[in-house]
Amino acid sequence: MKITIDNQQYLVPDGVTILEACRFAGISIPSLCYLKDVSSNASCGVCVVEVKGAKSLLRSCITKATDGMEITTNNQRIMQARKMNVELLLANHPLDCQTCERNLHCELQQVCYDFGITERRFPRTRKQAIPKDFSSLSLVRDPEKCILCGRCVAACSEIQTVKAIDFAGRGQKTRISTFMDMGLGLVACTNCGQCALVCPTGAITEKDAVNDVWKVIHDPKKVVLVQTAPAIRVGIGEAMGMPYGSLVTGKMVAGLRRLGFSKVFDTDFAADLTIMEEGNELIHRIQHKGTLPMITSCSPGWIKFIEHFFPKSLAHLSTCKSPQQMFGAIAKTYYAEQEGIDPRDIVVVSVMPCTAKKYEAQRPEMDGAFEYWKKKKKLSANDRFFDVDYVLTTRELSRMLKEAGIDFKALPEEDFDNPLGSSTGAAVIFGATGGVMEAALRTAYEVLTGEPLSDINLTAVRGMQGIREATININGNDVKVAVAHTLKNARILLEQIENGTSPYTFIEVMTCPGGCLGGGGQPIPTTAEIRKKRAEAIYAEDAHKIIRKSHQNPEVLYLYDYFLKKPLGELSHHLLHTKYVERFV
Amino acid sequence: MEAVSPYVVAEPVLDQIVDKYRDRPGMLLSTLEAVQEANPLKFLPVETLVQVSRKLSVPMTQVYSVATFYSFFNLKPQGRHNIVVCRGTACHTKGSRELLNSVGHILGFGCEPDEMEQGYTTPDNEFTIKTVACFGQCAQAPVIAVDGVIHSNVNAQKLIKILKKVKSS
Repeated sequence: MKITIDNQQYLVPDGVTILEACRFAGISIPSLCYLKDVSSNASCGVCVVEVKGAKSLLRSCITKATDGMEITTNNQRIMQARKMNVELLLANHPLDCQTCERNLHCELQQVCYDFGITERRFPRTRKQAIPKDFSSLSLVRDPEKCILCGRCVAACSEIQTVKAIDFAGRGQKTRISTFMDMGLGLVACTNCGQCALVCPTGAITEKDAVNDVWKVIHDPKKVVLVQTAPAIRVGIGEAMGMPYGSLVTGKMVAGLRRLGFSKVFDTDFAADLTIMEEGNELIHRIQHKGTLPMITSCSPGWIKFIEHFFPKSLAHLSTCKSPQQMFGAIAKTYYAEQEGIDPRDIVVVSVMPCTAKKYEAQRPEMDGAFEYWKKKKKLSANDRFFDVDYVLTTRELSRMLKEAGIDFKALPEEDFDNPLGSSTGAAVIFGATGGVMEAALRTAYEVLTGEPLSDINLTAVRGMQGIREATININGNDVKVAVAHTLKNARILLEQIENGTSPYTFIEVMTCPGGCLGGGGQPIPTTAEIRKKRAEAIYAEDAHKIIRKSHQNPEVLYLYDYFLKKPLGELSHHLLHTKYVERFV
Repeated sequence: MEAVSPYVVAEPVLDQIVDKYRDRPGMLLSTLEAVQEANPLKFLPVETLVQVSRKLSVPMTQVYSVATFYSFFNLKPQGRHNIVVCRGTACHTKGSRELLNSVGHILGFGCEPDEMEQGYTTPDNEFTIKTVACFGQCAQAPVIAVDGVIHSNVNAQKLIKILKKVKSS
């Protein structure tokens, strides 16, 4: 279809919106409420354009381009309208950019700058300030910074089908809120943080733990261990000004060391450990007619989702703790013992691409190491400590690196510390959707058949399709497996289970689009294209690893020989496995 | 969540209402309207919102969103008598602000005028006073509605008469 944009003729595909057509033609149209693949509410009026024959300006995000359309994207009328629409948003938006978490990463700030807005022209109309919502362990909402674009509502309801937030009230009292304005921490929110990822302003952000972490780093009595999730090495580079999907494992390790962490360890070690436990759990369930399909349990948003919405299906969840929690439990038992450190002096900080991990770390049952030491060291309830003390998102780590004045790009490549820094390719791919499945099958297949997979790359479970399935022949039996990312797709597989039509033996679920690499704690922006680049980096890291199967990780094998004894054993049961709770909706 | 308030619409009544509107267009709106009407204090307590959400399989946030969007829905108990003062432009120029204050004085409300603008119910649940932006009766401004009956060209004397009648009923 032929259209004219700013007096230039373009050929654009049928059915696209004006905004898409313009971006296709290399003309950038500003937008606030519109976000590709997420939402187009047409509420902000920042993307207006002039179309010949139309009386008023049209919102390009929702207006389809038609053949022969003559579009103007840039004239006095358009610029004034766009500017005024942003100025109206500014009337109630606090002007405290310097102290805002989204300073320099704020779309509203950017649009104001781009439009040359230099003053607040309209007075505030909202009579009463809406208080911040601190009720969640993962996220903080500041409705005063909200511009009511509705992106978070779309992410929560369309991507995740959780519907924890929606518009409430009307007129000046319109706000994004939860049921009865109870706060995110008190409703069925999975803490996935996709709302924070799509928010154009600082209205939803992660609960900041940066200052707490600085405090323990600078405490000479503490041994501060840091663990980094697989997806951080493909995300932190972006937040430090490098291209999307930069693989920066070595620089990340170096940077963490410069920040002052006592040891830089890898959640990947615990991911290998997870495979040992979860792979054996799967084998055990298959051989002993346990509840099938078994579903992975690494993704804490997913865990809270099934607890809220499908509590009847909890028996399908693997009892394995997530790698983050396994790491904490092992660090404060095995590592503490090996190094002769009082577990009370160990602080475990994790860097996660995830806001739900903040919640997970504080689930009351996540104190396996304390339970382990309680009798041995005669600890009282006052000594109680969690396995993981602080969780930082990728974004928080980038702020720490900046605060410390570290020139990230110039850092040398360094290696993780031992023993909890040793990992295989199977662990790295935990960061991408399909990765846990692939890693588990690499191990389970070999354990069950006694021979290695013909091709270690299980490409059938890779990719970005919402639900993927594969059939693997193990000892003459076809085993059907499925992989789902986003809770919307997880819901489909769960409904199959609940109505008895699920054909699968093993299912992997990750909460966020693309898996952890698209997590709610990752750098902003995170789009479909960026997720694809991060996934490529993850699989590249896997391909370059010498050892690519979890059961061949020498440090994990040593851990079993000298401490845990065997997968699913007594100690594993106490330290590495967990239970779930039924929640309300 | 267990029902705690004695003023919650009983479950069988609620079921009847829900069954009547289920799967019809606008089922949520119609259900909320009927349930509020069935409530002795003409409001939607949180227990009711939760029940409606479960019975209609509509997310709780959406129920709350609708219930807070329409000024028709009350999330707080309403008084036995309902007084609505129009605060539209025409009524304003004819002194509806003073009228609103007078209602408070005559009935002895111990509240600020601003509270009445937002909607105020006496602690004994006898009276609720609210304001609206316009009744559409601007030619007869100022206008108030008492228990659904509209009174036009209201002045202080007329107001005393109207309220006296209401008080004694």
